[in-house]
Amino acid sequence: MSKSISAPLARTARLLDLVPYINTHQGIALKELAKHFEVTPAQMNADLTTLWMCGLPGYTHLELMNLDFESGFVSIGNASTLSKPRAITFQECVALLLGLDLIASSLPSDRQDLLTAAQSLRQRLTNILGLPMKLSVEANTSGAVGAAIAHAIETSSGLNIRYHALYKDQVTERTVVPVNLYEADNHQYMHAFCSTARDYREFRVDRIDQATPADVSAEFPAKSDSTEKISFSIKIMGSSRDVMERFAIAHSAIGSSMEMSSYSRQWIERSVMASGAAVLLSAPQEIRAEIAKKAQLMLNRYKEA
Amino acid sequence: MSRKIERLINLTIALLATQRYLTKSEIFRTVDGYEGSAEAKERMFERDKDDLRTLGITIDVGSFDPIFNDEAGYRIRSENYQLDLGQITPTEISLLSLAADAWQGAAFADAAQSAILKLSSIGVPADPIDIPGLSPKLSNSSADLEIVTAAIASSDFLIFDYLATNLELQERTIIPFSLSNRTGFWYVSGVDQEIQEVRTFRLDRVQGEIKLNKNKDPFEFPASFELSEADTAVIHRSAVIDVRKGKGYALRRLAISVKDLGEWDQIKVPIHSLETLGAEILWHGDDVFVHEPSDLREYIVKQLHALVSNHE
Repeated sequence: MSKSISAPLARTARLLDLVPYINTHQGIALKELAKHFEVTPAQMNADLTTLWMCGLPGYTHLELMNLDFESGFVSIGNASTLSKPRAITFQECVALLLGLDLIASSLPSDRQDLLTAAQSLRQRLTNILGLPMKLSVEANTSGAVGAAIAHAIETSSGLNIRYHALYKDQVTERTVVPVNLYEADNHQYMHAFCSTARDYREFRVDRIDQATPADVSAEFPAKSDSTEKISFSIKIMGSSRDVMERFAIAHSAIGSSMEMSSYSRQWIERSVMASGAAVLLSAPQEIRAEIAKKAQLMLNRYKEA
Repeated sequence: MSRKIERLINLTIALLATQRYLTKSEIFRTVDGYEGSAEAKERMFERDKDDLRTLGITIDVGSFDPIFNDEAGYRIRSENYQLDLGQITPTEISLLSLAADAWQGAAFADAAQSAILKLSSIGVPADPIDIPGLSPKLSNSSADLEIVTAAIASSDFLIFDYLATNLELQERTIIPFSLSNRTGFWYVSGVDQEIQEVRTFRLDRVQGEIKLNKNKDPFEFPASFELSEADTAVIHRSAVIDVRKGKGYALRRLAISVKDLGEWDQIKVPIHSLETLGAEILWHGDDVFVHEPSDLREYIVKQLHALVSNHE
């Protein structure tokens, strides 16, 4: 339920939802019921006491719900009007539809059974929504890759991956031992020991095309700090949203200079190239020279053609 | 407080159980908890109706007799009150739980969990899905999903400042009808009211708050809308570029056709925006060469001139 709902209303909703739940879980322990509804047993006791007073007009034992919870176990009778689960709200339906789409797009393609079930649920939820709105989510990673990584982490085992290294623009096959998964800047990353590089590396999960179990002796050398960050500075020559997003900077006043650092020389070079006239790399000198050389080489080619 | 809750529950039960509309006076007479002066009861009832609607309960207003203009009556139809997902299997319950868990720590986490609470009352046990590690999560890059979905639900206007590629802040007014998440970013699509065309916006590029304005006019859903094509405008043009063998994977993914030229491949890619494609081409340095169109070539050459003079 949305946070904007007041405490008495949230409690009303809980009481309404309690009836159908007890109805299908007759004899449930009060403690367990409290846990399911995320309240204390004392609160649950108070809720049940309130509910016990409710019923159809008339309010004799014939019309009141027949609620029994003194023994510590809860059962209900005579609850027919409220005995079915409540309809889900618009927002709840949207949340489930978007979530389902994510799950469906994460499922391995050979699980047709689950894909069909997800599709059928989506159809039914869309009918409940009753609106011609479009909701969709595309998973960042293929389900097979995500599942393989999770399994490897759990069992401290190795993986053969095919990885597109964007900065080097190379697709390589590597053997890795994944350590953990984490999210940063809206992307999922895998922290892993790369047997090929003999060091820890970060991999963007959506750039892993394939992941299959690999036989490795899982020995983890102490984290080496052999990779050093390269400091560089840029000067903004032209404002653009792309430049701000590429260098992850909050402001881009023309003429302003910024100090930054990166692990990848290639990333620095390519990012400046991609920014064209909008960014000037002031340091380091070697990368400046490399950019000037490469740009001139490309220009020559365009002149020849 | 307990009294109010009791009254709300009793009102719900009474309005659900009735086969016909109940008038206010019948409700005051029979439903437990309505006390005080006529005016006080009236106020109480108005608030109670609002409260039940806030909980997502639909109350029908009608009259006993459509011919005579009778006093208005109220009822809750069970088909509106009850969840109707048809027959649910244990596997489906598991899929729905995974769907709800995907929101962990993100915008609709509460809504997703309250939906699951309702579903748990169906009494069908979950059948865990045998795929280890299947628990994808939705990113929480935007806190504005609530207002966006509310606007989609009633075809209301959304008004916001959008950061354009040239860093200009543009005020946009749209009637939204689509929400999607791709590559970890949330996108909203809608009919831009100034140009009356469909446009798509990345929510994290919205600056400041999104405002919602009520729309009283009917809104027609653009039937031909396809999400995949809607990123910016319709694509009319494509570029012909050479890509060195074994290089340019990001560009190759966009290709609509590929021709083998030996050391190079010639690919055709759609042009969504000259600047975006230009940046992608420049990123790949001398592994990529543009043949067509001439304005893209000129754009690249201009950027290269600047790169040379900036870095010599």
